[in-house]
Amino acid sequence: MGCALAQPYLVKLTIDLFLSGTAHAPAPYFDPLLRLAGGHGLLMMGFCYLLMVAGEFTTFYGQYYLTMAVAQYSLSDLRIALFARLERLPLAFFDSTPVGRLVSRSTTDIDAINEMFNAGSLTILVDLLTLAGIVAIMFALNAHLALWSLCAIPPLLVIINLFRVRARALYREIRDRLAALNAYLSEALSGMAVIQLFTHEAESGREFELLNRRSRDIQRTANIYEAGLFSSVEALSSVTVALILWAGGGEVVRAMIGIGTLVAFIEYAQKFFFPLRDISTKYTVLQSALAATERIKDLMEEVPEAAGAPQRAAPRAALGSTRGEIVFDQVSFAYRPGEPVLRDISFIVEPGRKVAVVGATGSGKTTIIKLLARFYDVTSGRILVDGRDVRAWDLRELRRAIGLVQQDVMLFSGSVGDNLRMGRTGLDDRALMRALERSQALTFVRGLPHGLEEEVIERGANLSAGQRQLLAFARALAYDAPILVMDEATSSVDSETERLLQLALEELLADRTALVVAHRLSTIERADRILVLSKGILRESGTHRELLAQGGLYRRLFEVQYAPPGTGIEPSAA
Amino acid sequence: MKRLLRYVARYRLRYASGILCTVLTATLAMVIPILIRNAINAVQQRHFARVPGFAELIVAAALGMGVVRWLSRSIIFNCGRDIEYDLRNDLFARLLTLSPSFYERLKTGDLMSRMINDLTAVRMMVGLGILTFINTPLYYLYALAFMTSLNGRLTLASLAPYGVLCAGIWRLAHTLMERSLRVQEELGRIGARVQESLAGIQVVKAYTAEEHEVARFREINQTYNAENLRLARVRGMLMPLIRGAAATAAMIVLIYGGFLVTQHRMSLGDLVAFMSYLGLLAWPTTSLGWMLSIYQRGKASMKRLADIFEAAPVPAPSDDGQWGLEVAGAIEWEHVWFSYFASPGTNGGADDGAAAWALRDVNIKVQPGEKLAIVGRTGAGKSTLVKLLTRLIEPTAGRVLVDGRDVRDVPLARLRRSVGVVPQEPVLFSDTLARNIAFGCPGAPRAEIERAAVAAGLVGDLEAMPRGMETRVGERGMTLSGGQKQRVTVARLLTYDPAVVVLDDALSSVDTETEHAVLHTLGESVKGRSMVVVSHRASTVRDADQIVVLQDGVVAERGTHEELMARRGAYAELFRRQLLEEELASY
Repeated sequence: MGCALAQPYLVKLTIDLFLSGTAHAPAPYFDPLLRLAGGHGLLMMGFCYLLMVAGEFTTFYGQYYLTMAVAQYSLSDLRIALFARLERLPLAFFDSTPVGRLVSRSTTDIDAINEMFNAGSLTILVDLLTLAGIVAIMFALNAHLALWSLCAIPPLLVIINLFRVRARALYREIRDRLAALNAYLSEALSGMAVIQLFTHEAESGREFELLNRRSRDIQRTANIYEAGLFSSVEALSSVTVALILWAGGGEVVRAMIGIGTLVAFIEYAQKFFFPLRDISTKYTVLQSALAATERIKDLMEEVPEAAGAPQRAAPRAALGSTRGEIVFDQVSFAYRPGEPVLRDISFIVEPGRKVAVVGATGSGKTTIIKLLARFYDVTSGRILVDGRDVRAWDLRELRRAIGLVQQDVMLFSGSVGDNLRMGRTGLDDRALMRALERSQALTFVRGLPHGLEEEVIERGANLSAGQRQLLAFARALAYDAPILVMDEATSSVDSETERLLQLALEELLADRTALVVAHRLSTIERADRILVLSKGILRESGTHRELLAQGGLYRRLFEVQYAPPGTGIEPSAA
Repeated sequence: MKRLLRYVARYRLRYASGILCTVLTATLAMVIPILIRNAINAVQQRHFARVPGFAELIVAAALGMGVVRWLSRSIIFNCGRDIEYDLRNDLFARLLTLSPSFYERLKTGDLMSRMINDLTAVRMMVGLGILTFINTPLYYLYALAFMTSLNGRLTLASLAPYGVLCAGIWRLAHTLMERSLRVQEELGRIGARVQESLAGIQVVKAYTAEEHEVARFREINQTYNAENLRLARVRGMLMPLIRGAAATAAMIVLIYGGFLVTQHRMSLGDLVAFMSYLGLLAWPTTSLGWMLSIYQRGKASMKRLADIFEAAPVPAPSDDGQWGLEVAGAIEWEHVWFSYFASPGTNGGADDGAAAWALRDVNIKVQPGEKLAIVGRTGAGKSTLVKLLTRLIEPTAGRVLVDGRDVRDVPLARLRRSVGVVPQEPVLFSDTLARNIAFGCPGAPRAEIERAAVAAGLVGDLEAMPRGMETRVGERGMTLSGGQKQRVTVARLLTYDPAVVVLDDALSSVDTETEHAVLHTLGESVKGRSMVVVSHRASTVRDADQIVVLQDGVVAERGTHEELMARRGAYAELFRRQLLEEELASY
């Protein structure tokens, strides 16, 4: 900045000392300099000028790069903090917020802030300093002329202020209208089949056109304002030059200042308006960055999952020593107030026992699992694991004690090994291989071109449904939690895979407390006890044999869902 | 690009006036240094009386320049806005005609980014791009002419740094493009990562892998940072390079020109004017680089938009009037084969074996006014059968006929006006309930909308809503329950009043009792119409004239309820389980 400011002064010196040839004597302190330069004064000045230019280059580059580096690192911190916060939000949050919106928060919105740095909106500060510097130098050179040069400032302030006041409302309106347009577009795109089926195309087209026009019209207005600001700044710059010439010309003639000073003033005046030129651009970028910040702030203020209270007073049981007892004590739960999904459920799973949960669709089976892993908190009642309320457990410890196998296997992009480890870098390949072997998945993983290192495409699209299930079993085995919670997959697989799954399940259930939402007859038959749910109420409980003999709800359910499909078999024959 | 030129041509008059203003602006901008020169020369020659005159001229030129510059920017930028507007309308109009297979290929997120980011890039090209495209050569032309008239050799010497700058920016522009594309790609990866991790949040939480996820995220952020800084290293050079070149040129002028002044071969005013011209050239020179990148980005974006423009809409014959006004409602599937992996008309899916066929040689005939029921397990091909009827998809082999005419020979709008579907997945738009119900015929009178709402069993729900019919449905109908949404879509069908009514498992989220009630009133209001009901609930289909059981894409059984029950086959089994299930549910 200093270098940039000094350049016009050098021009002035050059002109006054060497070019003007007038009697305006240089200040005495330049004498040594002049002597040093001897006859090569001009070259000397040129050299100084070059130094200044190089200085400006270096400092400007340094400033830009440092700003960018700082911006990048802090934005990346912000993004990571945002992501970390998202990872810790309760599931209920994700039930009501589309993932797409969260993605745009962590990319588009943070990018908008980045754009602010890129466009140099932060250099507004530097710009202001530069402006102050220029004003100071002008006053030092000649206060009278400086005052004249600043004549353009009041009208400039008026114009900028006018713009600012109008622009704020304008830009907000632009944002709103653009958001409405894009929301409509996104909705229409995802509901396109319905639009076409109801021959609503013409109407949709009209509605879109209206929103599009509203958005265009306001942007046109904004364009006119922006162009106006830009042009008036430019015009005022030239007017200032005229003023300097008019006022300064007389002073030169009266020999009150050197002509070099006059030229320097003209140069300074031009430099003065330089940073003001694209203030409107910077303003727009700044506005959208502020809006983005607001949205990110809202997200950061979402309340994360309660971490639970690790009861440090009591001796914390080491992980391995979790016995695995599960107690549901009069548990009720509703996702939405007034619509209970579970009502007054009570049961006990003793350590090491296997319990199957069965029931019709929507009876609340899966919800039991979600409550146990504390994805949601009970509405009333309590859930105890090893005699301690899950809300009193340290959340992470609780979830480390529970291995989960989901109905729809979720695999992440990364290698097969990564998907088994799920972040526990301590697990070596040997341990993974053992888990694969026990889950009957070793054969197929060995058959992959890169074995454990085989890349899994997003959601495991390159693996079959059976292979994904086997991997989910291996993942749970590698996790080696004392409690296993499983939502059995309903999708049918070929008989060979089915056999492998059976063997794997046996391994998985061994030496563990298990709570399984069962869809396969074999799984139910293997259970120590069966819980029969209907409409969120626990109807029956007992062993397969007992319940069948009872001839109640389970008997019917069994006939509907689990009896081997036959043709024309009478219910009693099942 | 040719396509874009057509849009530009639409606004040729406005562009012409905008360009005229740009030329005027440049001219005035070039006049001002001359005036400054004259004024300074006058000062130096002690002709002070002439200075105020020059000053006034400068003010006049400045004000005039302000006005024309304002006009030029407003006009040209607004042409850009208008072209963006036209393009967006046309793109949307095209999107409205494209079939589901297109939306399989290009997902909503991708399309949104094309409709937002790529359109912006195109707008930049036809707005700012055109302005700089006119400005740059003009400035050069003017400046060079004036400068050469002042001093030829000085011009040559002083332009040397600009030559270097030009070459430098040309090269930088390429690197800049490349690196900013990289940054965009990395940003895309970040988005994908967030998407994936949050979609699987339940597993992440269950395996307490949150920290691991954050660590992975941190890793790709680091790559992104590195790419961004690589970009910054190049970008950061741009501004100082420009300033450096401008300053170096100024220095050359100062030394060489200063020498000329001391030799009295040039006046001081000329020198100052010369320097002003050089200053004026700094921006247009930079713009050269921008022009290149704006042009390249715009071209790339236009190509991405062309994907939409050039996507083939469902070919449909125009309304030739041969299709009668009244549709009787006879439907027939004639030897219909369908595979999702083959394009219509080819047998491409066959080599995958039988599994690739969603439908195999299906033959079903429905007389006008009859009710056909299709039952079967998930994945048996029920929905596929229905989609063929409205031509959302086309048979791989065989024909689908409505009133004896191949649906491919029927104007699409007429076909879809005659065949009304309530799809499995209810889609509501963020609008009032009334407008959602009247979606198929926007002008429907209020009484009709209300009748439809009553028939769909919505009365109780409407009473509970704060503003009744005028309640706005949230984004994607988020504020309604699944059952409510489905009943709204049934009401929508009722106001649409088609000749053929198709329910594609439309009431799956509604309890059995309500389903019976809704189906009953629905049956009353569409009496005499042909009806196709897809259901996984056997009890709702027993009164159908014809029941078809689909298994793995093949018609396994067909007949009336009584016939099928007597056969004791798949249908009988399905029906028995169904009754039990209903009994269970009502426990």
